[in-house]
Amino acid sequence: MAASVTGLLKPWTPRVLLVRWSRYNPYYLEPEPRKEVYHIPETELTPEQKEERELKSVRPIKAATNSVTSSVFNDPVLSKFVNMMMKDGDKIIAKGIITQTLENMKRKQVEKYHKAPEGKKAEIECNPYTIFHHALENCKPVIGLASIQKGGKFYQVPIPLTDNRRRFLAMKWMITECRDNKHRRTLMYEKLSQELLAAFSKEGNVVKRKHELHKMAESNRAYAHYRWW
Amino acid sequence: QLNQNIRGVHLFHSIHGVKGSGKTMSLCHAVHYCSKQGWLVLHIPDAHLWVKNCKELLPSSYHASRFDQPIQASNWLRNFRTTNEHFLSKIKLRQRYVWTKRESTEEGRPLGELVDMGVSRVKSSSDVVGAVLKELRLQAGGTEGGFRLAVAVDGVNGLWGRTTLKKEDKSPVAPEELTLVHNLRKMINNDWCGGAVIATLSQTGSLYAPSSAYLPQELLGEEGFDSMDPFIPVPVSLYSEKEFESCYLYYLDRHWLQHPHSQTEEGKKELIFLSNRNPSVLERLCAFL
Repeated sequence: MAASVTGLLKPWTPRVLLVRWSRYNPYYLEPEPRKEVYHIPETELTPEQKEERELKSVRPIKAATNSVTSSVFNDPVLSKFVNMMMKDGDKIIAKGIITQTLENMKRKQVEKYHKAPEGKKAEIECNPYTIFHHALENCKPVIGLASIQKGGKFYQVPIPLTDNRRRFLAMKWMITECRDNKHRRTLMYEKLSQELLAAFSKEGNVVKRKHELHKMAESNRAYAHYRWW
Repeated sequence: QLNQNIRGVHLFHSIHGVKGSGKTMSLCHAVHYCSKQGWLVLHIPDAHLWVKNCKELLPSSYHASRFDQPIQASNWLRNFRTTNEHFLSKIKLRQRYVWTKRESTEEGRPLGELVDMGVSRVKSSSDVVGAVLKELRLQAGGTEGGFRLAVAVDGVNGLWGRTTLKKEDKSPVAPEELTLVHNLRKMINNDWCGGAVIATLSQTGSLYAPSSAYLPQELLGEEGFDSMDPFIPVPVSLYSEKEFESCYLYYLDRHWLQHPHSQTEEGKKELIFLSNRNPSVLERLCAFL
């Protein structure tokens, strides 16, 4: 459908350009923020890549969002987490909290590393990014529950979850846990770093919540046939 | 520069630079060097703290129009006591000081007693500070038991600007009307010998100064510039190639740079670009990388 539409559309660029969050004309192409793509010399391009380049030189391209960078330190999972933590569009505060969390985690781990005896040093993980990724992995549920109506009653049926849904659930649980169950005086980044370190070693409230969901799904195994997709 | 043999008239070094380029750190280095050489160090961590956010302003007992700041003065005396322990018993007072009708400190008593009195009697602590500074000024260049005095002030431009403090009838207080500032200015003036004055000009804590100002003339104002004449300006620039290299290698050595990309050449180039070789910005960047 898009192919026929693009045949009819003319490459007219309006005087006032569209902002990112409103609907773009499907004629527009996605931007490419990674630096490596542009460093390949002319000779090493495959025919498809050459075609793509020629197409890009003719067609208009969408504006890149503010969160996309060409820097090597760009992390899409972390950006998603920052967006989920953001309130009222205040990305500066959310990003600040995340950076403080990472620094706090790194500080605690490096202190443990320097105090540990020689044999145990290799086991301690100091990189806050790997800790974050592993902790999120440990919080992702494998199976979820859906409310399905059969014969007038609603049953909690275990269903498989897509990857995006699992990642979303893990992040959501983490953020709600840190917002609700903390002491009035502990700051957000402190609580977040504690939770992430606990999740990394498979302890803590978030992993407990994941296990409870799994148990519920296991106990409702009989209703699995109510799922029709 | 501080290795010069300073006898006779004292020299005034003023350290200035862009925000975050390491002025306070260089002052701390100089102070450490002086204390290792055995000088008496008079270190004021931030002169801006004396001209703003003061909860208690008492009218001074010694001079009618001046104001005292008991909390700041007693804090400073406590720090002075801990930094210069072994000098306190060696220096003897040359004058008799009377605090109230019943209390006075006689001639020949050690300086430590004066400082202890200032810490315990909070009301007259600002006057004690003035007395301590006067004694040190008189005895610094002396040949008998002579010691060298190093005055290190951070944020010296606060002494000549405006204050945010107000009197009870809501009229603003000028810095001259504060005893602490008045006594400190006497130290910076050229009348004593046998020591050095090192000062930093900082915009970070300063009042009513634009954030882009970092040159001595802009921050000190005319009054301050005239009273500090002549002085040696010491500019502190951003990290050079070698300094950046050494900082980067230090972070790598202490396992502070954990991100796998930050340890590559590309990551290093990106760090140089993002921080513009500014020490404080680099520190904040490497904190979460």
